[in-house]
Amino acid sequence: MSSRRSRSRQSGASRITDDQIIDLVSKLQQLIPELRGRRPDKVSASKVLQETCNYIRSLHREVDGLSDRLSQLLASTDTDSDQAAIIRSLLM
Amino acid sequence: MASFTPNLEPAPDTSLQFKPKKPRITLQTPSSCPPNQRIQRIKRWRTQRDQHIYSSKLFQALRRSRRTSASREVHETADRVLAVLAKGTTRWGRAILTARKVTKHKKAKLPTNNRLRKPDIYRERRKTPAVERKLKVLGRLVPGCRKLSFSNLIEETSDYIAALEMQVRAMTAITEFLCGGTGGGPQPPADRLPSNVNS
Repeated sequence: MSSRRSRSRQSGASRITDDQIIDLVSKLQQLIPELRGRRPDKVSASKVLQETCNYIRSLHREVDGLSDRLSQLLASTDTDSDQAAIIRSLLM
Repeated sequence: MASFTPNLEPAPDTSLQFKPKKPRITLQTPSSCPPNQRIQRIKRWRTQRDQHIYSSKLFQALRRSRRTSASREVHETADRVLAVLAKGTTRWGRAILTARKVTKHKKAKLPTNNRLRKPDIYRERRKTPAVERKLKVLGRLVPGCRKLSFSNLIEETSDYIAALEMQVRAMTAITEFLCGGTGGGPQPPADRLPSNVNS
């Protein structure tokens, strides 16, 4: 009996969140380069979420690697203030 | 963190508005923004101008700080400048800025969780467990978004991903500049330099 109740609740609850899942898939799919070419109905929510997490982690790793290089470069070029002026003027 | 342009909110102000202990904060959800602001939000981290602003601010911050020998410091500085550029409108931005002030204490599972078990029996699976689990993982990856509602989490994620991509582009550009500087010496831009360059 409790299982019947929970099942009806489950179907009721999933009816509410189906729209959210569609929203999720449509929004996140645009952001992730790997999933952009696929049709929205061929991509499951679980896969979209998995790819999103992987993508964020890979971006974190990339920033980690870049900051590593930057720290080494900054340590070596710290004394050169002329270059700093050039770079700042170029970046502005 | 001293010189910012006047239109940026200084970090202490945003920390006053953000109380980490409160689970629900009435923040300006994107749906309440007028349509113009929504379009600006979508384009926010993707314009060249934003990237230039971020690059210059990051570079200034890196030059100013003498402790940038560790890559972790550089990464934290980069994240901080990114969060400041968000101007306190995003949850992950506020979380990054306040995380440095609050000592990170791992919250143990409070006994009040037992009270929440009861409704869990009635709604055993709100969505399928896989989706639910992955939403939680996503909430942990984006800073400050562990207890966020579904739609807010999606908005924060999309903003965060766009910001991270811009961060990667900007840091790559800075790295290339610095490499070009140390490798070849200041050649093409040297026209603008005064003649007393150290050789």
